[in-house]
Amino acid sequence: MAIIRDMIPAFELFQPNTVDDALALLDEHRDEAWVLAGGLDSYDWFKDRIKRPAVVVDLGGIEELHGITEEQGGLTIGAMTSLTEVVNHARVQSDYSVLATAAEHVATPQIRNQGTLGGNIAQDTRCWYYRSGWPCYRAGGNTCYAAAPKAMNREHAIMGASRCVAVSPSDTAPALVALDAKMTVRGGGSPKVHDAEDFFIGPAIDITRMTVVKPGDLLTAIHIPAAWANAQFYYEKVRDRGSWDFQLVSVAAAFQVSGGTITDARISVGGVAPYPVRLERVERLVTGTTGGESVVNEAGELSVQGARVLRHNDYKIPMMRNLVRRAVRSVA
Amino acid sequence: MAEKLIGTDIAPPDLIAKITGRARYSEDFRPDNMVFAKLLLSPMPHCRVREVDATRALAMEGVIGILRAEEVPSREGPREACLTDEPHYEGEPVLAIAAITEEIAADAIEAIDVDFEPLPFVLDPLDSLRPGGPTAYTDGNRFARAPDAEQGDGPVWSDFKWTEADFAEIDAGRMPSDAVAISNWDKGDVDAAFAEADLILEEEIVHQSVTHHPMEPRTNMAYWENGKLFAHVSTQSAQRTKAAVAGAVGIDQEDVVLIAPYCGGGFGSKIAGTTPMQIPAIFSRKINRPVMLRITRYEENYVGRARPGFQTWVKMGFRSDGKCIGIDLFIVEEGGAYGSGDNGTAGAIADLIYTPENMRFRAVSMYTNTPPKAAQRGPGGAQIVSMLEPILAKAGRELEVDALQMRLINAPDPDVAFGPRGSTLTSVHAKEALEQGAELFDWAGKQALSGRREGTKVTGIGVALSPYTAGSRGFDGLMVIRPDGKLYVHQGIGNLGTHSISDTARPAAEILGLNWDQVEIVWGDSSRGMPRSSVQAGSQTTHAHTRANHAAATDAARKIRQIAAQSLGGSPGDYVLDNGRVFRRGGGAGMSFAQVAERAIQMGGEYDGHELPDDIHRETVPAATMLAGEGLMGVAKDNYGGRGGVYTFVAGFAQVELDVETGVVDIKEFVGVTDCGTVVHPRSLGAQLFGGCIQGMGMAMTQKWVYDPKYGVAFANRLYTARPPGFLDIPLNMKWAAVGIADPQTPVGAKGIGEPPVGAGAAALTTAIADAMGTCLCRTPLTPDIILSELEGRDPAFGRLDQHVG
Amino acid sequence: MGDAESVGLLEKKYSRRSFIKGVIAVGATASSTGYLLGGAQALGAQMPGATERLITLNINGQDRRVDVLPHETLAMTLRYRLNMTGTKFGCDRAECGACTVLIDGVNHYGCSMLTHQVRGRAVTTIEGLENPDTGELSIVQQAVLEQGGFQCAFCAPGFIMSMEAMIRVNPNPTREEAAHALSGNLCRCADYDKILTCAMRAAELARSV
Repeated sequence: MAIIRDMIPAFELFQPNTVDDALALLDEHRDEAWVLAGGLDSYDWFKDRIKRPAVVVDLGGIEELHGITEEQGGLTIGAMTSLTEVVNHARVQSDYSVLATAAEHVATPQIRNQGTLGGNIAQDTRCWYYRSGWPCYRAGGNTCYAAAPKAMNREHAIMGASRCVAVSPSDTAPALVALDAKMTVRGGGSPKVHDAEDFFIGPAIDITRMTVVKPGDLLTAIHIPAAWANAQFYYEKVRDRGSWDFQLVSVAAAFQVSGGTITDARISVGGVAPYPVRLERVERLVTGTTGGESVVNEAGELSVQGARVLRHNDYKIPMMRNLVRRAVRSVA
Repeated sequence: MAEKLIGTDIAPPDLIAKITGRARYSEDFRPDNMVFAKLLLSPMPHCRVREVDATRALAMEGVIGILRAEEVPSREGPREACLTDEPHYEGEPVLAIAAITEEIAADAIEAIDVDFEPLPFVLDPLDSLRPGGPTAYTDGNRFARAPDAEQGDGPVWSDFKWTEADFAEIDAGRMPSDAVAISNWDKGDVDAAFAEADLILEEEIVHQSVTHHPMEPRTNMAYWENGKLFAHVSTQSAQRTKAAVAGAVGIDQEDVVLIAPYCGGGFGSKIAGTTPMQIPAIFSRKINRPVMLRITRYEENYVGRARPGFQTWVKMGFRSDGKCIGIDLFIVEEGGAYGSGDNGTAGAIADLIYTPENMRFRAVSMYTNTPPKAAQRGPGGAQIVSMLEPILAKAGRELEVDALQMRLINAPDPDVAFGPRGSTLTSVHAKEALEQGAELFDWAGKQALSGRREGTKVTGIGVALSPYTAGSRGFDGLMVIRPDGKLYVHQGIGNLGTHSISDTARPAAEILGLNWDQVEIVWGDSSRGMPRSSVQAGSQTTHAHTRANHAAATDAARKIRQIAAQSLGGSPGDYVLDNGRVFRRGGGAGMSFAQVAERAIQMGGEYDGHELPDDIHRETVPAATMLAGEGLMGVAKDNYGGRGGVYTFVAGFAQVELDVETGVVDIKEFVGVTDCGTVVHPRSLGAQLFGGCIQGMGMAMTQKWVYDPKYGVAFANRLYTARPPGFLDIPLNMKWAAVGIADPQTPVGAKGIGEPPVGAGAAALTTAIADAMGTCLCRTPLTPDIILSELEGRDPAFGRLDQHVG
Repeated sequence: MGDAESVGLLEKKYSRRSFIKGVIAVGATASSTGYLLGGAQALGAQMPGATERLITLNINGQDRRVDVLPHETLAMTLRYRLNMTGTKFGCDRAECGACTVLIDGVNHYGCSMLTHQVRGRAVTTIEGLENPDTGELSIVQQAVLEQGGFQCAFCAPGFIMSMEAMIRVNPNPTREEAAHALSGNLCRCADYDKILTCAMRAAELARSV
């Protein structure tokens, strides 16, 4: 069979109006079904003719998945809420600005208008071997091309690898980790709520997916608790170009600061592992300090301890280290 | 008094069509019965088709036919064909399927089984030069006439290898001084110069390939009607593309109707059309249906071609005052699957911008199993300027000579003679451009910021000089004043977005005393008559066609005066042309141009084109003949002559802020000043200048090609991985200016602008970044990872001469 | 249009797909009838509950009934069913913006949405900006004409739609804000500086209305 990378293969389209209907469709069509949110991840797979579901379930018409509501002092963001809506929401901007900033760094305005928060965090990795349809571990095969000695792996992981060295590409994921966000996933049975850190899984847990969402499940909402409202935030994304590009490395941090002293911290780094990395040891290190230069340096060094580089991504060590330093330094 | 046109801003006549969606590019045409072709591409960098089983595909409902390599023109040796059974790069088209919908065509491609025999491949020209290393062709890596060839002998294959000793030098980081070069020339005594020099710098530099990626992929559509081929081609040129299409399909030029009113960019990859344009032409003849071949962006990464990369050793010797007195330059060029020759221009331009008086130039260009290489906006020149200007700046730092001063002292003067043949130029105002730019940029003020550190940001300032050829001579102009009184300028040039399609007609309007609204540009459809024209490449169009149209308008003016004198008395010299009328100087009897046109038709002969000048090109004759009898014809060859080459210079200045903790570079300011002779259309000139500079910035900072070396396949094969610069990658405020001194050897005084800015943009950045870092990285693109690794003193991820990485 | 264009829907077979490379395509897809309407057969969906093919689209203020395949993108429908070729294919992968259209006044990549997703929403394309009765250009188009924007102009329709979206949301942008608003559109001629001038002028003209 020859390969052509153009023209979406035919599928049947379902546009349910409720989550229950969507779940029923997923249950009925099993591994023939594909969940469509904003589509910016899906259409790439379809147009490359690598993923060819017989059935596509479009969530766009499900009202209960759209919108941002205030709940228990925090926010509940429907999984199908557009990134633009997240960026522009008054309370996200006023109280949880790290999420607004992170969401604003995604790709381009058009993609943010259409792309959803749920889709952004549930998106598949961008390892170019995997995305080109090569039969690697993540694709069900038995090798990792990106980890080969001569492979091109500049954008791959320096930690958390387990046979697969791809990274989590989501810009909002580190911000959500830093906000102690929780995700509601519905599938067979009652809805489950996952802490952000548990929502994003690594290849050691399941090499074929990036999150706990299994085929047949639906991510329905992202909850931002009140805990980190109005904290001091820091976000930075390093990338080659100013738009479209995924991160090389990014950092999202939240600090509770009282009288100049850090009383609590959350620091998460993206682009370095198959999931957003939460730097718990660094958080403990900086808590109780004023974020002065010696703590800043120590935090940076600690954050990259244990990093294991591939041939082309050694630079991620100083880049990650420096971004963590900048996050901590921002408090002072 | 008719309005002055040269030097003013006038919206091009096609702008409304462009901004309302009416402008039609090749993919926008829909003849009845049209079918769609899709390509089957090679999955491997080098392979041979052993067998093709298309039975299932051809049995599919809606599939019309298949086109194979044996049905398309091909030539012996390393010559590109539009379809091939021995692909020489991943992504090379093997065959095409036509079906009534694109979907069916795509499904049909998948239903084809092809047995490919994998063959050895090479991606890096140095690997091909290494003894025992792979070659891009099974027959060898060099195709040339043998040294002992006799008269009439053609080229043959050989294995061109360097020695183990050469590679010992290379592996030790040195120029392989004894390596055999394929091209070489020298002047003066470079070794003696080095012996005298106060400073010698030796560097290894890599400039990566980048894909052209015009916004419009090279989609083509074609059909046959009454024995004529109607070809809708995405092409930079027009009249010359018609000839190329005819040649490819094996028919007479006059049996081709080229429809190309708009081209969505080419930058050198669509000069006389494209290789894939042959496919619809041949396929539609075979199946007797119009065929649309929509080329996808994915395919643009492959058949869309790329600028050749260079791996370079350079040794430059300087006097203590900063004057470069010797250059030893050795370039290894990545020739792609079908060869390229950017290195020649690179050597000549190095000589031009450093004026060393002593130079040794050597180069080899090696075939590799990577996409075809083609000229890309400033071929050779953009690379060499980007590569060497930071070396000049480095010399300045070491000699403690100001970087601008380094640039000025080495810049050419009007009497420069450069390159292998000691070429001279018609006009050179490089120093004026540098000085004017320095003032606009506030060089002195900016220099104070050089190296300044604020927080984690370091400022760097750079200056660069980038010349490129910008003119040619000897083409024909063709125009008719019709009985409606308007001037119809028949342009044989393409509409690739430079606005030269209308700007080059302005001299004609001025000579004839017409306002712009009395001028119609006829373009985009060869059946309306196109004179012999230049290709739209080499930045030559503005120069060449202001001349050609000037000549044709002068011819028309002469005839108008003669007609007036014959009709109204007196002698031709008594008459002036203004506002669409010809009348006696000082007032008095006159005729409207409409009346002149009628009279010309009555008089026949040369007045209405029934008799044509002897010296116009034979390709102009059919067009002029077709237009005979339609009005007053102006037709002439540009015989204005001239001595020397026509070059435009651009001086580029950049201020950057480099974040030492992340390697991210922010371009704060950019200034570009050009010596391009007379400015015909200021706003358009500024746009071309900025546009070229930004393309250079993309080359310098973001754009790349990445290949997996084990499998020989490309990974930066999407726009977002190829990384052309976007709005947020450029400074918000850029300034430009033009020296504006007319070139004395051309009547309008205008030189071209398209290409010189690319090197200026790239090199202003590479020098500014080197200034901020205090060191020169000698590689492009300068992405944050490369910069940060260097700043942090980490081991580089790849060898100094490695290509296709990142 | 001859009989060759009238192709009936074929039996669609959806075999179990594995997501490993080497998936085998079985059978042909159902064809559309090329790029022009004709030969409509069995327009109902194959699976109960699945989206019906014949839909009403609101394009530039007009309702159009169109036979649209479920997997068809808006850009494909515009260009090949409705013959509205102003919206361009630059990359078909949401990476260039040449296909930008407005959906309810907000800019989106037409190549990266299914036509079935815009049922009931207002779609605006470049063809819909000028006054349909008088031909008067929209404010953005007037600004572009005045400032001589664009070179090869393949990116122009997409950029103009993004400018339209921008002035609806931010009527008084700074140059930096305008650059951000337009950062989802690529120009390979790199006419960015002049395009930005056009955008700022468009905003100025819009404010003065």
